[in-house]
Amino acid sequence: MGRLKSVWVYHVDAGSCNGCDIEVLDVLSPYYDLERLGVKIVPNPRHADVLFITGPLTRQTRIMIRKAYEAMPPKPRIVVAIGTCASSGGIFYNSYALYNTSPQRGRDRLRSGGPEMVVPIDMYIPGCPPSPEEILYGVAQLLGIKEKKMKGEYWIALPPAEEPGRENEIKFRIPDRPIPLRYWLTLREELRRVVGYYDRDAVLNDFIELVGKAYEEAPDNPEEKLHDLITGYFLKEKDSRVKVAMRFLENEFWRLVREYREWGEALREKYPVTAGV
Amino acid sequence: MAESASYTEKLKRWDRFKAEKFSKKAPVTTPYPFIDIEKPPEYRGIPHINPEKCIGCGACVNACPPDALIMEWDKEHGVKRLTYNAARCIRCARCIEVCPTGAMEPTTRFEVATDNKEDLVEVVEHKLAYCEECGEYLDFTERQIEYVRNILPKDVFDAYALEDRIKLTQEEKMRRTVIKLRETEGNVYPAFMLVRETKDDGGEE
Ligand code: SF4
Ligand code: SF4
Ligand code: SF4
Repeated sequence: MGRLKSVWVYHVDAGSCNGCDIEVLDVLSPYYDLERLGVKIVPNPRHADVLFITGPLTRQTRIMIRKAYEAMPPKPRIVVAIGTCASSGGIFYNSYALYNTSPQRGRDRLRSGGPEMVVPIDMYIPGCPPSPEEILYGVAQLLGIKEKKMKGEYWIALPPAEEPGRENEIKFRIPDRPIPLRYWLTLREELRRVVGYYDRDAVLNDFIELVGKAYEEAPDNPEEKLHDLITGYFLKEKDSRVKVAMRFLENEFWRLVREYREWGEALREKYPVTAGV
Repeated sequence: MAESASYTEKLKRWDRFKAEKFSKKAPVTTPYPFIDIEKPPEYRGIPHINPEKCIGCGACVNACPPDALIMEWDKEHGVKRLTYNAARCIRCARCIEVCPTGAMEPTTRFEVATDNKEDLVEVVEHKLAYCEECGEYLDFTERQIEYVRNILPKDVFDAYALEDRIKLTQEEKMRRTVIKLRETEGNVYPAFMLVRETKDDGGEE
């Protein structure tokens, strides 16, 4: 397929939510300018070399897609699936309104679904919606400008004590942290409500680093030391969200420490049989 | 088809920002397919499973709205496979949010277009733990047990005698509890407390 020159494209919607259609329009805008690669949108499948399909293939559109495909000239007759929906049915994959004849109704290994039920597809561009660069990349790959980068992966996750013998066998590792795992898990969950999932890990890593430092430098009075360290951190940090999150973490951490201590004592009092085992 | 190859070559060499004429008249168009770019760090690319940390708990499978992540069970061979397919993934990052180990990693990878769907599949195969009593495979993996050992304080493990029971099937656990209940009727302590002390007699039945 690296021999394509200027391709003419017919864009057809197979029941998409219009997110992908907007992105196709975006790619044609001056900033991304798909037309500089020789691509031209034509209003008739009889003139087209390439069919752009967006959407998960509803029952209403399947005959229309088939007709558009058959109306195209027999060569090169390339079909590009744009969006997750067109690649596999996407978020709508098990809807009653979709046409899907795959044996497990889209739950197989390749996640069959979408227009591939009625027409063969030459290029999948997943994304919901794919950003214009992703569409550009797919088209560039079709024209032989870019190389394919994805590759299927198969890992064997080894049980804790085993050593890897083959290349795709991976040893188990729990990252070393200065605070116990249960504190880390609780703080991580609580922090999500304060700063969201994206900043969470960075903030938490900074915090547990400070905790480790506090316990190292002042083993007798870590609470005060940690407070000082966080105040020092504030002087460098500009983002007020991170400051709030840090204070929150500090309070939450000491609350957890006290709570676990109380629980431990209560447990020992209640069941003296096993106390101190 | 040497002619068309040269056309592609020409396209590759064409750098809009170096060509004086273009840079003044049309500096707005991105030179993207002819150069390599990176997306900003907060861009939601396809997630990636880190097989070093993943314990096979399946929290991400429950959270994934379009079933891009599926757990395949194979109890005969004692494995379960976590399969991820980027062709179904809508990049909502819910799996990243719920993963208890941080094994689901966000990436900014956007160059995922491919002509073969096999390229989009990522599989992590986990070994299931087996019951020490009957040799049947359990529902969870060895790694999950190890992770639980790391989460719970040692006190709790000892107080509830968990070490003896963690690798048993549900039926076996229930059977043992019933036996202990019968043995210790009227005792002030609950049955699970005494599993540890009477373990030697219990193991022989
Ligand atoms: S892939 Fe996403 S944006 Fe595109 S049509 Fe489907 S739901 Fe809409
Ligand atoms: S939630 Fe995380 S640890 Fe659990 S199976 Fe998914 S990737 Fe693995
Ligand atoms: S990002 Fe969303 S759709 Fe993709 S695997 Fe994670 S939960 Fe599923």
